[in-house]
Amino acid sequence: MPEPELRLVPPRGPVDVDELMRRAARGESQAFESLYDELSPAVYGLARRVVRDPARAEDVTQEVFLDVWRKATRFDVERGKAKTWVMTIAHRRAVDAVRRSEAQKRQDHQGAPDEVSHDEPADAVIEAEEHGAVRDCLETLTDLQLESVRLAYFNGYTYGEVATLLDKPLPTIKTRMRDGLIRLRDCLEGAR
Amino acid sequence: MSTELHTLSGAYALNALSAEEAEQFRRHLEACQACRQEVSELQQAAATMGASEAVPPPSYLRAKVLSAVDRTPQLPPHTGTANVIHVAPHRWGTRLLLAAAAVVVILAGAIGISQIGDNGPSEQQSLLAEGVVKVFQADDAHSATMETANGGKISVAASSKLGEMAVDTEDLPALDKKHVYQIWAIHGGAFSSVGVVEREKGAAMELPEPDTEVAITVEPAGGSKQPTTDPIMQVDPRKVLTGQV
Repeated sequence: MPEPELRLVPPRGPVDVDELMRRAARGESQAFESLYDELSPAVYGLARRVVRDPARAEDVTQEVFLDVWRKATRFDVERGKAKTWVMTIAHRRAVDAVRRSEAQKRQDHQGAPDEVSHDEPADAVIEAEEHGAVRDCLETLTDLQLESVRLAYFNGYTYGEVATLLDKPLPTIKTRMRDGLIRLRDCLEGAR
Repeated sequence: MSTELHTLSGAYALNALSAEEAEQFRRHLEACQACRQEVSELQQAAATMGASEAVPPPSYLRAKVLSAVDRTPQLPPHTGTANVIHVAPHRWGTRLLLAAAAVVVILAGAIGISQIGDNGPSEQQSLLAEGVVKVFQADDAHSATMETANGGKISVAASSKLGEMAVDTEDLPALDKKHVYQIWAIHGGAFSSVGVVEREKGAAMELPEPDTEVAITVEPAGGSKQPTTDPIMQVDPRKVLTGQV
């Protein structure tokens, strides 16, 4: 049930997400609240993009943050940034939700999987700080790299499904995904 | 390092592998520092791409999440104790903490699993693994004993404080050498293997995510990728935790 927007907008400025995660791991719920404020738009936005249904995206978002809370004690900054960790969990859960519902649908009416709409979600994408850099960097990918990466990441397809859709051999898609991400990584590093 | 497997790093970072391939790749990662580094960098690039799609969630979700968090205990940190074998993590985050080496000899009566017709301290000795006993003995543990479809009994305990559950499988019928008991996590209708259990030792594992049931099947020695027989028991650990079983 929607409520009027009453909560304070968190103060802008650099927030040390890794530090918030360390504090959340020690059970500080205030740190966890800040973590939610900092990361929930990214998590929810990604979930919307992948599962499409806003109600399911909310469920996924809730599952992700519960997972993050439970496992914060096991987060290891040596193995990557807290934000990456949270987004990796978010993506995995969103993709699982899509694959589960596809499997369910196939069980329900044995039909072909529904046609996937390529529309953007209705809400305006907020101008995240990364937005411009990501858009620019994605333009440095070849068409096949970009399609392979996007179909896997935003539509939740396996690389086998992507290969079928794009009518390309499996090894080609495998390497395009890797090369595409490497190009994106290098470009984003340069943009920083 | 196998180049064949290594090229899967991109697909892995995009979660574009099947459950089996992802599992195989994760095992490969355990042994390959360079691959871990690459995967972590590619995951960061993917995460940045994902974060560029940010949309503010509805404001009521915040209160909902925070109140759920309020009711949820955190997992204890990994301390690297040597008596716990970490089987490679599974899809649903469930893993076996079976303590194969650290078998302790305890009295079955002491862990409170013989509640029905308890005739006082039993002389019968148990070889349950220490990790299993720990869960049964946790001060917030709830446990339940149930009959299995193959004519045995099994006890299940869960502790939210430890964030773990355990099964005592000693009263399951013994199997011949060609068969084993295998534990599964079932989520959304999909089975993922938690591991093969040694009957005498039982098994302890992390409490799986909500809406995940745990089941046991009889499988050919070595275990199966997917169950080949019907479960002999199936339980929702959350219900054990809340005393609903």
